[in-house]
Order: sequence, then structure tokens, then C-alpha cells
Amino acid sequence: MDLVTYKKGHILIATGIAFLVAVVMLLTLILPAEFDIDPLGTGQLLGLKGLSAKAPKAVTMEEVKYHEDSVSFILQPFESVEYKYQLRKGSSLLFSWMATNSLTFDFHGEPEGGPEGFAESYSVGKSKLENGTFTAPFSGIHGWFWENRASEAVSVVLTTTGYYSETLIFREGTVRKQVLSN
Amino acid sequence: MKALNKLPVLLNEYRQLCWLVLLLFIPIFVFGHNISENNARFVESINGPAAMPFMYLGAKHMVTGYDHLLFLFGVLFFLHRFKDVFLFVTIFTLGHSITLMLGVLLEVNVNVFLVDALIGLSVVYKAFENLDGFKQVFGKQMDARAAVFVFGLCHGLGLATKLQEFSLSNNGLVTNILSFNIGVEIGQAIALAFILVILSQWRRIKLFQSHAFVSNSLLMSLGFMLTGYQIAGYMST
Repeated sequence: MDLVTYKKGHILIATGIAFLVAVVMLLTLILPAEFDIDPLGTGQLLGLKGLSAKAPKAVTMEEVKYHEDSVSFILQPFESVEYKYQLRKGSSLLFSWMATNSLTFDFHGEPEGGPEGFAESYSVGKSKLENGTFTAPFSGIHGWFWENRASEAVSVVLTTTGYYSETLIFREGTVRKQVLSN
Repeated sequence: MKALNKLPVLLNEYRQLCWLVLLLFIPIFVFGHNISENNARFVESINGPAAMPFMYLGAKHMVTGYDHLLFLFGVLFFLHRFKDVFLFVTIFTLGHSITLMLGVLLEVNVNVFLVDALIGLSVVYKAFENLDGFKQVFGKQMDARAAVFVFGLCHGLGLATKLQEFSLSNNGLVTNILSFNIGVEIGQAIALAFILVILSQWRRIKLFQSHAFVSNSLLMSLGFMLTGYQIAGYMST
């Protein structure tokens, strides 16, 4: 197939150069840029270091007043309820809920100005409790839908802390909205 | 004056080469070669057979996977007969399909970085073979078809680890892996079309043989870089 055959010496030199070029590229550019490893200081020199440095945004400043709430309620068999919180994008909510028996739940959010009935689910399932921290991916109302699909009443305790400006409770077709003071 | 007259001819000769260089660098812009977070979230929410999303992901993975593309480029470099192209591509496809299916189904646990480092070495191997290095330096060479099959198995293992990165539901698993596999082949066909057009244009240039030497050396260097990149990834986790 090949008309030309290459000389052994040339092949060895080419291989050596190929390897050397790769090592130089890795040490001077790729490692600093991709892994923040800078053995020769070239990353610093060229301003590449820091491209992949892990510096998560640890602090988010809030304008909304701090709130702490703990509510408890009872869900009769086949009853459902929704607790929602108005959160700005990037704002966090620390939450913990616990039920006396398993409930079907859907932790979701509805963006501000989004289409009617549009919701994005964050966590869906069947459980007795969930604890965690939530950071709002968009401004809107975020919260839980719980439904009791068992034949006995279940009582639930929900604790939330965070920087929400409104709370909403949806129960049996009615909405109870509470605008919190700032 | 004479040199000026030659300029259009020269430009025309090198135009194809410029395209090639451009094509080679496209994958570098998608250096993060893992299935993105949003895709992962979506895929993990799938419970049951979902042919289209998996097919799309397979095709995307192949088209944006510079490691697979570079290896294919090396394999096809000196193949100009359709028969050979077909044979080698079939062998490669067979190899990676086997380990993709078995890897996911048998839940084979291999380190993503190490498999990708091996895939980087497959590029080095192929480039060295293209330079005729095995015959000239060591005096013997593994059958090119056998080598492509073995490295096909490695590439398939790499594909499997990418799928295993998210917890796939057992419901519809076979359909989903098959769909991913079909997607991979579609992506490969798209990539092949580009590579073949470029290579066939390139061969028309008189200097192809000397370009071939430099290009395969460059290919080998890129293979070393990929390997080093993955080893660094392995060490830093």
C-alpha cells in the first residue's frame, strides 16, 4: 500500500519528538489548564492557572429577611396538600420534613412568569422524611406536594429556614397566601 | 512573477489541508468529554426503554469524542480501497459493540480514566504502526486487523464506563444500551464521512507521503497527550 518506507532512524526521532512535544504540552499547558497543576510555573506565567481551579461560590448575600418556620398538619387518607415558598434565584432553603407514615411527594418549583401549570420537579418519590438544602435554580415558588395514599391519617412536621418572601398553602382547591414582612 | 502565478495552484493544493487542520481542532473545543450534567439528570430520570435519547447521546458522544475520532483517523489513514475501509470499520465496530454491551450488562467496573488512557495509547499505537515503526524498529508487527479489534474492545469499554456513570434503571436496559450503541454507529458514520472525504482529497496532493509522516507523528503526539491527560485525571481523583 505504501510506496515509501520510512527509515528506522527517522521513525525513532519522530516518535521521540512526538513524545517530547506531548510531555511539554502537558506540563506547560494542559495540566495547568485542566487540573490546576503547574509544575513549571508556566500556567501562572500564561494566565492559564485557575481555569479549572475549584472555587465554589460559598457565600450568597440576601436582601430578604430571614425566616424560620415549623408547621405540622394532618393528611387524612387520600388527602393532599402543597407547601410552597417564594425564593429568588440562587437563594437557599434549609428543610426537614417528617411524617408518621410514608407519603407520596413531589418537591418542585414553578418559575415566575412561566406558563400556567408548568413545574419542574427536584425530588419525587415515596418517603417518611427528607432533609436537605435547596438552592433555587430560578426565581419562583418552590415546595412540596404530599399525598397520603394509605388508609390511615398521617401527621407531618415541616421545618424550613431561609430567605423566602412568601409562603403558600394549597389545600382542597384553596390557596392560603402569606406575604412575609421584609 | 513566476512564483505569483503558482500561488493559486499552491492555495488550491493546500486548501484541503486547511480543512483538515480545522476539523482536527473542532473536538478540542469540547474537551469536557463526559455526558453533561443536564443530560445525566434527564437520563437518570428515565425508567424504561427510551430509544431516541440514548441514540442521540451515543451519536453525540462519538461525534464530539476526539479520542475515538483520532483513532479512526489513524485507522483510515492509509486505507483507500472501499473493501479495506469496510473491513476495518466493521472490525472496530464489532470490537467496541461487544465490550459496550457486556461492560454495562455485566456491570464491569473499570476506572474511567485508565480506560481513556488506554484509548489514548491506541491512538499512539495506530500512529506508530502507520509510520511502519513496528516493522522497522522491532522487526515484527501484530496483524493490523487484530490490533484494531483489540483496541475496539478498549474503546467499547470506554463507552460502557460513560454509560455507567449514571445509575441506569434496569427497566429497558437492553433497549437503551442497544440504542446508545446504534447512536454510536450513526455518529461514527458521520465522522467517517468527514474523515474519508478529507483523506481522499489529501491523497491527491503530491506531498501526501511526506505529509503522512508528519501527520502520523503529530497523531502520535496527540495520543501521548490524551494518555497523559487521563493519567493526570486518574492521579488527581
